[in-house]
Amino acid sequence: MDFALSGESKMMVKAAKDFALKEIEPVTEKIEREDALPDDLLQKFAKARMLGMMVPREYGGIGSSALNVILVAEELAKTASAAVFVMALNNSIAETIHYWGSEDIRQRFIPSLCDGSNYASMAFTEPATGSDPTAITMTAKHEGDYFILNGTKRFITNGHKNGSGVFYAKDETGKVTAYMVEKNTDGYTWSKPWSLMGLAGQGLVDIFLKGVKVSQENILGEPGKGFHILLRWIAGERIQQMAFMTGMGQECLNQSLKFAKERMVRARPMTAMQGFQWMLAEMHASIEACRWWTYRVACMQDAGDDFQIDSAALKLFVVPTIQEVARKALQIHGSYGYCKDYKIERLYRTIAHAGITASSTELQKTIVGSALARSKDI
Amino acid sequence: MDIIVCIKQVPDSYDISWDKNTGSLSRQSASAILNPIDKNTLEAAISLREEHGGFITAISMGPDQAEEVLREALGMGVDKAILLSDKVFAGADTLATSYALSCAIKKIHRFDMVICGKESYDGVTGHVGPQLAEFLDLPQLTNSTEISLKKNKVLVKQKIEDGYRLLEASLPVLITVEKHINQPRIPSMEDIMGAYREKTVDIWRGEDLNGNTEGFGLNGSPTKSKSVYVQKLEKGSAEILKGEPDVTAKRLVEILKENGFL
Repeated sequence: MDFALSGESKMMVKAAKDFALKEIEPVTEKIEREDALPDDLLQKFAKARMLGMMVPREYGGIGSSALNVILVAEELAKTASAAVFVMALNNSIAETIHYWGSEDIRQRFIPSLCDGSNYASMAFTEPATGSDPTAITMTAKHEGDYFILNGTKRFITNGHKNGSGVFYAKDETGKVTAYMVEKNTDGYTWSKPWSLMGLAGQGLVDIFLKGVKVSQENILGEPGKGFHILLRWIAGERIQQMAFMTGMGQECLNQSLKFAKERMVRARPMTAMQGFQWMLAEMHASIEACRWWTYRVACMQDAGDDFQIDSAALKLFVVPTIQEVARKALQIHGSYGYCKDYKIERLYRTIAHAGITASSTELQKTIVGSALARSKDI
Repeated sequence: MDIIVCIKQVPDSYDISWDKNTGSLSRQSASAILNPIDKNTLEAAISLREEHGGFITAISMGPDQAEEVLREALGMGVDKAILLSDKVFAGADTLATSYALSCAIKKIHRFDMVICGKESYDGVTGHVGPQLAEFLDLPQLTNSTEISLKKNKVLVKQKIEDGYRLLEASLPVLITVEKHINQPRIPSMEDIMGAYREKTVDIWRGEDLNGNTEGFGLNGSPTKSKSVYVQKLEKGSAEILKGEPDVTAKRLVEILKENGFL
């Protein structure tokens, strides 16, 4: 079992680090202040060929792997910026469209998600539900050559920015179907972005569809199979999210080491003290475990294995583990950690999101527990 | 415009070990990176090619693992990459390194310009560029902060201690560059994949170069490392000079003279 990353992967990580230092880190304070990402960021990701990485070249991607995507995401995540989500969504949604879509849908919707001209959105959540397909209220009614969509979606990243979205609605059979929707079309309106605890500039909006016409050619996958599409997408998105968490956890450790080496207590640096060494050791061990399990599940995705249960178990482990890493990092910084002048403050707030977004940690317990209960292997 | 760029892989850490017998750096003991200024060197070459057309060959001398920096050069956009890798090159000082590189460049034969970084991150001698120019009998334009071409002449802005001066030379020429000459491009993910999946790094051994093997490696190095040690800092005493600045300055000069420092 060779755990060594390839030279190609290592160079991608290096390039991602340079990109983060050049394009994201210098503007993080501005993003926090204005609660908005720079308008040219998507183009910069496109120029760096960080969008649609898993999609074949014929559709505008580069035909790389899920592992390379999460390696890049892990490195970018050290900025603790919502910028990483832009990159992630244009990767995971492009891959989803490629996986499920007809050749016509692939040609029409994927290239613009790879070339930086469009923002991808995934629209399932509604005011009354974040994970229960039976509770969806958005409807799709077939009229002639179109489906007419009506309803509300909540917390949709970049739902207000030009591009395409995968919208989940109940068709006339009462089952959930996934529809490709061009955003900002007639009947498509949105709220102002939600103001969040962290992830400034994330651009979470409510979307209101009133009589939005969608071509009958725009069904993604098969009618009535929308929830399967959503489940697979979420499983892949979880791996990316855990890569973010790992990257942020590593940055918590990096910042803590820097602080503890410089901060003197009774003429000795904090790192000379056993108590702090133990905290740092626990942080390191935790991060390494999260890292390699995340890589493992990404490799499962690349191999075409069923990775949904494993990605749920991964999230169940990584979220509380990295949240504890962040807590330790805050303790090491002491009162300075509570100040916005120190990066740990933003890291701590950003890390808080993962247990409650893209399905909660409690839901992961249900997914894994019920799978174990069904399992015939002992 | 055919350009040859000389690059080097250097250790990424201060946590390195030394071969006590040869006094040389044990390069296997630390993780390695592309010499930081060589990114600027590569960017300078690629920018010139974008403006004037041509072909860029990147050369490096080192162990097998140095192939990584040549892959990085391919990712940034060079056309060809050559690694000089052989035990006979090991332990080389700057002169033996320059000699081996010059043998390789003469084998390439066709070039208009050789570009090197001003110095490497580990040795910090700044020797290889000028030595290479001598071996190749090329005019050398060192410490360049700007490079421009007009017909068959190259013009550089050279950084000197208290300012800059403009230098001009006819091609072919050797140029060394300063770090702030440019902002190196970051290879895209697609370029990186191309560097590993579609391009090759040619490996040249000692016997592939038409040179005197006595001039390679430790044998060809007139500089020998006598010993390697860590200077131990010990507590000493200090005298604080008080008074007006001109008075204390004069007293300081006297003390330095009394103790043989001036």
